[in-house]
Amino acid sequence: MTDPLVTVDGLEKYYYENDTLLDRLTGAEPEAVRAVDGVSFDVREGETLGVVGESGCGKSTLAETLMRLREPTGGSVTFDGDPVFELSGGDMDAFRRRAQVMFQDPFSSLDPRMTAGEIITEPLAIHDVGTAAERRERAETLLEEVGLSADQIDRYPHEFSGGQRQRIGFARALAIDPEFVVLDEPVSALDVSVQAQVLNLLADMQAERDLTYLFIAHDLSVVRHISDRVAVMYLGEIVEIGPTEEIFEDPQHPYTKALLESVPRADTDERDRVVETIRGDVPSPRDPPSGCSFRTRCPELIQPPWLDAPQAAFREISEFRTRIENGDIDVDTRWERVGDPDREDRAAFVDALREEAFDEDLPDNDEETVREAIRALADGDREAAAATLRERYRSPCEAIDPALPAGNHPDACLRNEQPADVEAAREEWEADHDAPEVGASSR
Amino acid sequence: MTDLLRVRDLSTRFFTEEGQINAVENVSFTVEAGSVLGVVGESGSGKSVTGLSLIDLVESPGKITSGEVWYNNADLAERVEGDRPEAVDGDFVDLRRLSEAERRSLRGSAFSMIFQDPMSSFNPSITVGEQIAEAAEVQRRASANPRSTRSRTQGYGLGRMLLDGALPDRSYTSEESWDRAVELLERVGIPDPAERAEEYPHQFSGGMLQRAMIAQALAGDPDLLVADEPTTALDVTIQAQILDLLADLQETMEMSVVLITHNLGVIARVADRVSVMYAGEVVERGTLTDVFDRPVHPYTKGLLGSVPDIDRPGERLEPIAGNVPDLVDANMPDRCYFADRCPKAMTDCLTRLPEYEVSDSHRARCVLAEREYSEADAVPAERLARPTDGGATGDDGSTASDESAAPDAEVSDD
Ligand code: SF4
Ligand code: SF4
Repeated sequence: MTDPLVTVDGLEKYYYENDTLLDRLTGAEPEAVRAVDGVSFDVREGETLGVVGESGCGKSTLAETLMRLREPTGGSVTFDGDPVFELSGGDMDAFRRRAQVMFQDPFSSLDPRMTAGEIITEPLAIHDVGTAAERRERAETLLEEVGLSADQIDRYPHEFSGGQRQRIGFARALAIDPEFVVLDEPVSALDVSVQAQVLNLLADMQAERDLTYLFIAHDLSVVRHISDRVAVMYLGEIVEIGPTEEIFEDPQHPYTKALLESVPRADTDERDRVVETIRGDVPSPRDPPSGCSFRTRCPELIQPPWLDAPQAAFREISEFRTRIENGDIDVDTRWERVGDPDREDRAAFVDALREEAFDEDLPDNDEETVREAIRALADGDREAAAATLRERYRSPCEAIDPALPAGNHPDACLRNEQPADVEAAREEWEADHDAPEVGASSR
Repeated sequence: MTDLLRVRDLSTRFFTEEGQINAVENVSFTVEAGSVLGVVGESGSGKSVTGLSLIDLVESPGKITSGEVWYNNADLAERVEGDRPEAVDGDFVDLRRLSEAERRSLRGSAFSMIFQDPMSSFNPSITVGEQIAEAAEVQRRASANPRSTRSRTQGYGLGRMLLDGALPDRSYTSEESWDRAVELLERVGIPDPAERAEEYPHQFSGGMLQRAMIAQALAGDPDLLVADEPTTALDVTIQAQILDLLADLQETMEMSVVLITHNLGVIARVADRVSVMYAGEVVERGTLTDVFDRPVHPYTKGLLGSVPDIDRPGERLEPIAGNVPDLVDANMPDRCYFADRCPKAMTDCLTRLPEYEVSDSHRARCVLAEREYSEADAVPAERLARPTDGGATGDDGSTASDESAAPDAEVSDD
């Protein structure tokens, strides 16, 4: 195994809202947005590590923080033995030369009146490398290397197509001869045929120059194509990391499985492929779920030790419970629909809501518990309804926060191997909670 | 299967300062009743303008310049027959020969459309339920009295499209329409629809809002839903949900769908038939199997070869060299538009080509449908007047073309 070029350890980037002076004077609690929430991994010399996840998972913030384009709120990054967040002066300069970043639209931050040549040579000028004539010559060579022609050097960005602009952005990133390049969604704005050209270019340049890539993208096919290893992110955390082949052929974390299944294949068999879509949306990083952050959507949510319900029924009950806890169910409109203004026909209310909320058949005990909760709801006692369900259907996944263990292909799911302290916490939790009696509080 | 829509030689042009842009060029295809037609292409291929042209939403400086759109609707045919016999053929009516007002009255009930960005379809200051109720109300009133419609969602994509009449009334929607809105929200899989109906668009997530837009589009129980990149802005897990929903709605409501997308996987997931567009033309069309498993046109093959395969990785990608042409009429050559990027270009290709029949269900605008490739007939690259060469690897063209050309932005294709 080659040595890590980059080591990321417990990296955190929180943003704080309600953190103005006025907020502090009025004593409003600053609210943390956990964009990157304790992420650790290595990037090995010469490899491409792909980072994949959906919007809001924190992958772009990860890239920017790692490159120290944003200040971290915790953790460390080591580059070739140097602590990046502690560098200053000449050492920081050296880091800025050895590590480069290229964004989805490399021109959004650049002056549109700069020519291709000026764009490519700007990093050289900043670091005071070579004479103007030498820099120009270097830009010409780079243009040829990335598949453009040297005589395009004096053109402006708007004279190039999207794919060509991406090539220029890449030439700029390479100008100063870096060892490490962070590529943040470098091809996602391109049409597929052009995207393929740029992907081939990235692969060729890596082979030629022994580059190390951190490749960030939301497109799983692209990530699989280009990466040696892959990290999967969800709500600011890495939930699984490992060799590309293993991640795609033998995914371990329920989120990775769901993500891979969701990608529609460009194949005539696609129609008949059964896709278990995961429900709901990604929760807000302002208010991530307790325990495992994927639990609100997880098809494999773990049942408490005392329960042995069909998994589909358990999931429906858990979702119903979340709706009650969030106050999503408006009791008044439900009564209106039952058409009983005096609110006497509780049975009708219970039947109606039971039908509305569940597709699955429920085992007898669960049927009874659910109905008990709905009766409480009918009486307007949302807290009691929630408590009834919570008691019987609480999952270890909502109490215990799984960790990403060390190893070649670890994942952060309680169903799989977990570090000793997490296992211990889970045992303690299970010992502390007993099976409630069904119908005990029934009215 | 009966046909719902037969489109013949439809052309849409944009008359801009840069000149005439041929966004859609002699496009023909058929949409069968109760099936999904996928229209696939890259930016600047004309696929979005094709969708807009179908339901007459092309805006100035764009104009549909020729073509026929035959719509299968016996009632309409009967109504039109007396005034305009030339617009009727059996149960089919040529929408291009109707008046604008007549076409407009079909929106919502005959045709509806959803877009990539649901935010632009909703007025941010009106509740989602109210806006869907308005669409339902318009349909209700329209069926009672075809000329009485306007609403406060004017100016917002779909809202504007559905509600193009006049009625500035404030408390516009009836209770009946509100109930219908809640029912529609429920139908598209929004939990607690009665509560969510009271919320404003910004309180919905992207996926939820996409569902709400679909609900709005269904208010008139349309025969045809045109969906333009309906999942492109969504994350892949949400995309899977929306595709499921579309397939389910299409089946249960016996609706036809024209699904416009750049994503071949999305096409494979839901489409029965496929039209591949390039430079404003349909270059190949047929059943999903025709196009995906037996492609004839080198562009179709190139497109399929450019996509990294999530199940079969590792192979080097085979991109298509060059870029799409800019569609400016004056620059469009008198030859196959793909010839400058085509590895199989022959002297036969240097003239404008018809659609050739590959099989009953399968057409391609390429000489390879009729003959084999022969090296002896290959055209030297210089003769194709490629714009100056792209350099070392020779691909990616070199003059400003696809995204950077103004027309693209103006016709808002992608
Ligand atoms: S810990 Fe629980 S909720 Fe999280 S992924 Fe594993 S099974 Fe699902
Ligand atoms: S007609 Fe000729 S140039 Fe055009 S796609 Fe077919 S083979 Fe290529």
